[in-house]
Amino acid sequence: MSAITYRDVRFGYPDGPDALRGVDLTVPTGDVVLVVGPSGSGKSTLLRAANGLVPHASGGRFAGSVVTFGRDTRTHAPRALADVIGFVAQDPEAQFVVDRVEHDVAFVLENLGQSDVTMRRRVEEALDALGIAHLRGRSPSSLSGGERQRAAIAGVLAAAPAAIVCDEPTSQLDPQGADDVLAALVRLNADLGTTVLLAEHRLERAAAIAHHAVRVDDGRVVGTGRPGPLLADYPGAPSVTRLGRLLGWDPPPLTVREARARAADPAGLPVPALADDRAHGDGHGDAPVPGPSLVRAEGLRVERGGRPVLHGVDLDVRAGEVVALFGRNGAGKTTLLRALAGLDPPARGSVTTSAAVGCVPQDPNALLFAPTVRREVAETLRLLRRPDPAAVDRWLDALGLTALADRHPRSLSGGERQRVAIAAVAVGGAPVLLLDEPTRGMDAASREALHDAVVTHARAGGAVVLATHDIELAARCATSVVVLGDGDVVASGPARTVLAGSLFAPQVLRVLPPFCTVDEVATALATGGAR
Amino acid sequence: MGVAQGPGYGGSERLTDVHGDAARPWHAAAWLAWAVAATAALQLAPSPLYVALVIALATLMVAVFGGDSPYARAYPVLVGLALVFAVLRVALTALTTHGGPDVLVTLPGATLPDWLGGFTVGSTIEAPVVAQAAYEAFVIVGIVAVFAAANAVIAHHELVQGLPRAFHELGLVVAVGVAFVPTTIRAIHDVREADRLRTGGRPVRRGRLVRQIVPVLERGLEHAITLGESMDSRGFARGGSTPGERAAAWCGAAGLAALGGAFVALVAGESTPALVCIGVGTGAVVGAIALASRGSRRARYRPRRLTRADGGLIAVVALAPVALAGLALAGDDRLAWAASPLRWPALSLPAVLALALLAAPLVRRPAPAPTHDPAAAVRPAAGPVVPA
Repeated sequence: MSAITYRDVRFGYPDGPDALRGVDLTVPTGDVVLVVGPSGSGKSTLLRAANGLVPHASGGRFAGSVVTFGRDTRTHAPRALADVIGFVAQDPEAQFVVDRVEHDVAFVLENLGQSDVTMRRRVEEALDALGIAHLRGRSPSSLSGGERQRAAIAGVLAAAPAAIVCDEPTSQLDPQGADDVLAALVRLNADLGTTVLLAEHRLERAAAIAHHAVRVDDGRVVGTGRPGPLLADYPGAPSVTRLGRLLGWDPPPLTVREARARAADPAGLPVPALADDRAHGDGHGDAPVPGPSLVRAEGLRVERGGRPVLHGVDLDVRAGEVVALFGRNGAGKTTLLRALAGLDPPARGSVTTSAAVGCVPQDPNALLFAPTVRREVAETLRLLRRPDPAAVDRWLDALGLTALADRHPRSLSGGERQRVAIAAVAVGGAPVLLLDEPTRGMDAASREALHDAVVTHARAGGAVVLATHDIELAARCATSVVVLGDGDVVASGPARTVLAGSLFAPQVLRVLPPFCTVDEVATALATGGAR
Repeated sequence: MGVAQGPGYGGSERLTDVHGDAARPWHAAAWLAWAVAATAALQLAPSPLYVALVIALATLMVAVFGGDSPYARAYPVLVGLALVFAVLRVALTALTTHGGPDVLVTLPGATLPDWLGGFTVGSTIEAPVVAQAAYEAFVIVGIVAVFAAANAVIAHHELVQGLPRAFHELGLVVAVGVAFVPTTIRAIHDVREADRLRTGGRPVRRGRLVRQIVPVLERGLEHAITLGESMDSRGFARGGSTPGERAAAWCGAAGLAALGGAFVALVAGESTPALVCIGVGTGAVVGAIALASRGSRRARYRPRRLTRADGGLIAVVALAPVALAGLALAGDDRLAWAASPLRWPALSLPAVLALALLAAPLVRRPAPAPTHDPAAAVRPAAGPVVPA
C-alpha cells in the first residue's frame, strides 16, 4: 500500500505562478524518500501538499488529488491528518507552541484528546526515540539548533504518525546537529517503520539514508529511482557521487565508504596517469599570493556577559586570501567575525583594520526590506551617497541574481535571500568581506555562484573570511583555514595542510588523496590524458 | 522507561517535572495572584515611594525567578517603554495644562482656536502640574513593571492548562502572542546591527526607521505563519467546543468582567455598585465552573496542581492589598500624595510592612538551572526545594 499518492497535482500560490505543474508520485509505505531539486522548484510545495497545508493553509489554486493513508487532503485539513502524518518545517525556531519541551511534545496528544496514561507513555517514548529525554524541562529557546529540530520531530512523533514529512530539516543546522537529526530519522524508519518524506539540499548524509529519491524541477517530477543512479548527474550531488561519475564508476557511490572500496580496486581508476599523479603530485598549486594585511587581530579576547568567548586569538587576513573559519557551534566563529567588524569590542588585544570591512549576518532576513532585489542592493550605495548602477549590476551578476532582480526579496528561497544579503553588503565596496555561514540553506546553483563571487573578489585584491561548516566549499575556495575550538585557535595554516590532517576532511581527499575536489581530479585526468 | 516502572503510572499521583517545577517553585496561578495583589496595592498606595518599592520588588522577582529566559530579558525593555510613555505623558500634560503657582519656566505659547479645544500649548510650565502628571504616570509604570515581571516568571503553559476547556484555544493564542515579545526584541536587535553592518559601520539616520521596522515586521509575520502551520499540523482546534463549554466560557468572561468592575468601583469609592458587581461576578464565575465541570474534561498533559504552599502564597500576598485597604479606612493619609502644596512624600511603617508581604515568593528559590551534561540530567529528581 502506498502512504501518499499524488495524482496530477497542480497548484499555484495566490498571486503567484504555478508551483506544481502536474505531479504524479507515489510514496511507498515504510521507506525514506528523498526529494531533491533546486531552490524554487516546488519541493516545499510538494511536501506541504502531503498533509494538506497546501492548499488549506496557503490558499491558492489547487487541482488534482493527494491521498494520504486513504484520506483525501481536499476534504481533510492538516489538523484532521495530524494522527497519520506529521510535518516538520525548516526553521527550528518557529514551531514551538509551549515554552517547555515536554509539554510541547504533548501538544499534539492533547489536541487528539488522548487519555492521560497514553499521553504520558507517548511523551516518554517520543523523547527517547529522539534522544532528548534530558532536555524535557528546558525551554526550546535555550536549545541548540539540532536539539530544537529533534524536539520538533518529537512533537509530531508523539502522535505515532505513520509518516513524517521533513522540509529541509537540517539546512539551518551545523553538521553535528544535522547528523543527529538524520540519525534520528533513520532510527524512526528502521525501528518503527515510519515513512519519511524528506527534502534536502545538502546530500552528503541525506542521500545515504534514502531508499528512493525524487527529482523535482520547475514544478514537475523529473525522475524517481534509487538515489545513486538518480543523483549521479545532479548538480547538488555529494562530491563522491560526482567523483564516481567522473571516473565512470557504476553505480555511483553515495558514501565515502563505497567510494573508497572502488578506489582501492586498481581497475576502478580508469587512467593510469591518475595513479601516477597521485604518487608525486599535489594536485594543482594554490599557494596564496601574500598581499598586504587588511585586517589583523592580535591576542584578541572578547567577553560576553563576563564570560570569555574568545581568548587570545591571532588572525591576519591579507589581500587575495579566502580564510575559512571552522569550529563547532559556540566555538566563537560568529564572535570573531563580529569583533573583526567592530561590533564586539575587544576586552584585551586589538583589531587593526587597514581597509573597510563588510559583514553579512547569519540571518539574511535581518537586512532585507526593499520591494525588489535590485533596489535592495542599490540601497547600500544610496546610503553611502555614491549611486553606481554599474556596481549594482556587477554584483547582481556575480551572485547570479540578475534573473531575480525584480522579485521581492521575501519571495525568494533561503539561499537566494542569503545571496541578496551578500550582494547588498558587498556592493558597498569593502575590500574585506566577512560572511557568516553563507551556504546555509543554499542549493547547488547558489553555492556555485557564491564560490565564483568569493574567488573573484579575492583575486581582485579583496579578502573574504567565511565562518562555515561547509568543508566542501572551503576545500574549493579557501586559501587558508583557521579552526576554532572553545574560543582558541586550535589549527591554522594553508587550506590543504589543515584540511588534510582533519578527521572531517573533504570527501574527495578521503577517497583519492591528495586531491581535495572533483575539479582537481578532472584537471589531473585531463593533463594526465594529454601526457 | 522511567514512567513505566514509576509509582505514578496510571494512577492519580502525578510525577513532577524534574527541572521545570524546581526551576519554577510557584504555580502560575500563585504568580497571577501576586500580580493582581501588587496592582491592587499600587492603586491603594500610589504614593511614589510605595510605587518605587513595588517596582523594586518586581525587579527582584525577575532577577531571582526569571533566570535567563527570553521573557526575563524582555522585562527591562517593557519597563523602559513604560518610562518613555510616562515621560511623553508628563511633557504633554505640562504643555497643555496651566494654572497655579510655582512657575518653573515660561515658554512661547499659543492658544488654539475654540474649535480645536481652545487650550493653550506651551506658555507657563508649573511645578505642581509636572509633579502631579509624573506622580500619575509613575503608578502606570509600576503596573507595567508588575505585569512584565509576572510575564517573566510565569510558566505560560500552566496558565493555559488552568483555563476552562472552552477558553483553552483563546488562552493558547494569547500565550503564543505573548511569546512574540521576546522574539521581536531579539529581531529588533539583529536588524539594527545588520543595518549598521550594511554601510561598514557608518550609521545612516535617514530612512532608518523603515529599514529597521520592515524586516522586524516581516520576520514576525513569517514566524507567525510557520507557527500557525505547525499548530495546524499538530491537530490544534481539532475537536471544536460544545454549546455547554461555550456557555461556560461566556459565563466566566462575564463574571471576570463584573469582578473587574467591582474593583474599579471600589477604587472610586462607590460601594453600592461594587457590592452588586461582586455578587453578580461571583455568581457568574460559580456558574461557569459548574457548567464547565459538567462537560467533558479536556485532555491535559501533566497539569500542575496548586500545592498547599501555592495556596499559602496566594493568601499571604492577598493580605497586602487588604492591609492597605484597612489602613486607608483607618485614615492613613500618607498612602496617596498630592502635588499641591509640593512636599516630599511621607512613608508609614504599617504600609511598608503591608507591601513587604509582596516579597513572600522569595521564601522559595528556584533550583539552579539544569546542567547541559546529559549524565547529570538523568539523575533522579532533586530533593524538595529548601525554603530560604
